[in-house]
Amino acid sequence: MSSHREAPEISKDPVADNADVYAFVSPDKPDTVTIISNFVPLQAPPGGPNFFEFGDDVLYSIHIDNDADSEPEIEYQFRFQSKLRNPNTFLYNTGPITSLDSPNWNKRQFYSIARVDKGKSTMIASGLACPPCNIGPRSTPKYEALAAAAVHTLPGGERVFAGQRNDPFFVDLGAIFDLADLRPFQQLHLIHSAATAGVDDTRTLNIHSIAIQVPIRKLTKDGSVPKDVMSSTSVLGIWSSASRRKVRMADAANDEKAESGPWVQVSRLGNPLFNEVVVPLGKKDEWNGQTPAADAEYLPNVQHPELSGLLPVLYPGVFPNLKALTAARADLVAILLTGLPAGVVPEFQNYTGKKYADMLRLNVAVPPAKKPNPIGLIAGDAAGFPNGRRVFDDTTTVELRAFAGVTYPLVDKTFTPDGAASKVDQGVGPGPNRYLSTFPYVGTPHDGYSTPDHTL
Amino acid sequence: MTRFSRLSFLKSAGAAAGVAAATSSPALAAAIDPGAVETKPSGPLAREPVVAIVRDPGLGEVTVMAGTTEKTYKDRTLVKRLLKAAANNHGVNVGEVG
Repeated sequence: MSSHREAPEISKDPVADNADVYAFVSPDKPDTVTIISNFVPLQAPPGGPNFFEFGDDVLYSIHIDNDADSEPEIEYQFRFQSKLRNPNTFLYNTGPITSLDSPNWNKRQFYSIARVDKGKSTMIASGLACPPCNIGPRSTPKYEALAAAAVHTLPGGERVFAGQRNDPFFVDLGAIFDLADLRPFQQLHLIHSAATAGVDDTRTLNIHSIAIQVPIRKLTKDGSVPKDVMSSTSVLGIWSSASRRKVRMADAANDEKAESGPWVQVSRLGNPLFNEVVVPLGKKDEWNGQTPAADAEYLPNVQHPELSGLLPVLYPGVFPNLKALTAARADLVAILLTGLPAGVVPEFQNYTGKKYADMLRLNVAVPPAKKPNPIGLIAGDAAGFPNGRRVFDDTTTVELRAFAGVTYPLVDKTFTPDGAASKVDQGVGPGPNRYLSTFPYVGTPHDGYSTPDHTL
Repeated sequence: MTRFSRLSFLKSAGAAAGVAAATSSPALAAAIDPGAVETKPSGPLAREPVVAIVRDPGLGEVTVMAGTTEKTYKDRTLVKRLLKAAANNHGVNVGEVG
């Protein structure tokens, strides 16, 4: 989760595995939007000597739809290139790395960015340095400073960062995939045991983030910075993807793999957990290769989600009203596929029309919250998920509650959710000191010397 | 659909990766020279080799990739030569051109 190893094929290709995408109005620069797309999930910090990096042979893309047609009017494309200083050592670094051009750093990575506007591509940056992975106190002694030096400001006003981070997504992975167990409520589970606290399985794992902060005026259809929440101009559809060349050939006489043919999309992400828990196993790889504009195919899976059917079975007697709810889930369709139209939540909308498409939908006219609530919109914080997604939003709990029926009264006021539905909780939260208050907002990766905690 | 000629194939191969890349494949060599003989590759694969895939032998369909482009042609002559080279050099049954 949220889409870490979510489909059979992409689970074998971590550098192209798009695990999460986040999009929010930047809290410290509210005239900008920050978009973060994460890849190479579930990194154990000590993973040397070949520490984690982006794929030189992968095209990473962030897509923005600004006119509600579920097609990208704007795309930021990222390509990476690794450089090896000394091929005659097995070491990632031959001494402390104290700067991004340190001669001790053997395996570096650089990237270029192209912005595509309605099909017209412009290279906006090249030769940008990634930071190293966080190795340990001897190799990367001042890691925060190294990472800060890898934040680049571009001539067009964008700020970018690409490199290793602590995975911002928190989840009790082990429990949820053990037959949808929620540790705080496992005394109510069909196969029950005593309730315990949740476990955050990604807390000390790292990931690779591509983060870009863009002036809002460079993303909206008319170049404005919208202030009217109810205007369609205020809503952006956002998703990301990874693509590989159609043909790849291994040749014993050539260290580099030969490639040919067009780029073929192998991974994508919009809403958290969509491919994970909505799309069935036999369709997950196909979904990864499609664009949001083709998502009408998955409408039945959203209208009658498997998870909503499982909850009453796995928690007997706890969800009687959910069990009796057989109507199509128009609430989930709105949250995941169309955005919420005006009139559903007072003074809010992030509607992009009737076309069904899995995208994050961000209403940029909603200012950042002064006191953010990780439960987001359903807790009254309109700056949070499913209005875009912030790094600390508890999207697992939000979606679990939505699948449990909490949001169905938005479309049918006669429905009363089960008492347990609003209490469903995975038992883990964002935790302290996990995030940064400024760009790129995702926190410092754990170093391989100190993690895991050897005192345990 | 554009008719795919031997000349245009050579042009696309040369433009995208150089003829050396095209001739490094026995199958592609057969497309260039009907009297192809098996040989050892003269060098490593080009980073962006031209790739021809016989998509449907019965229909004479061949897909050619050059750079990030991909086009599919109906060219029974080219497909016959590729299949002949494959059959001669590899001793496998690769289908018939209808």
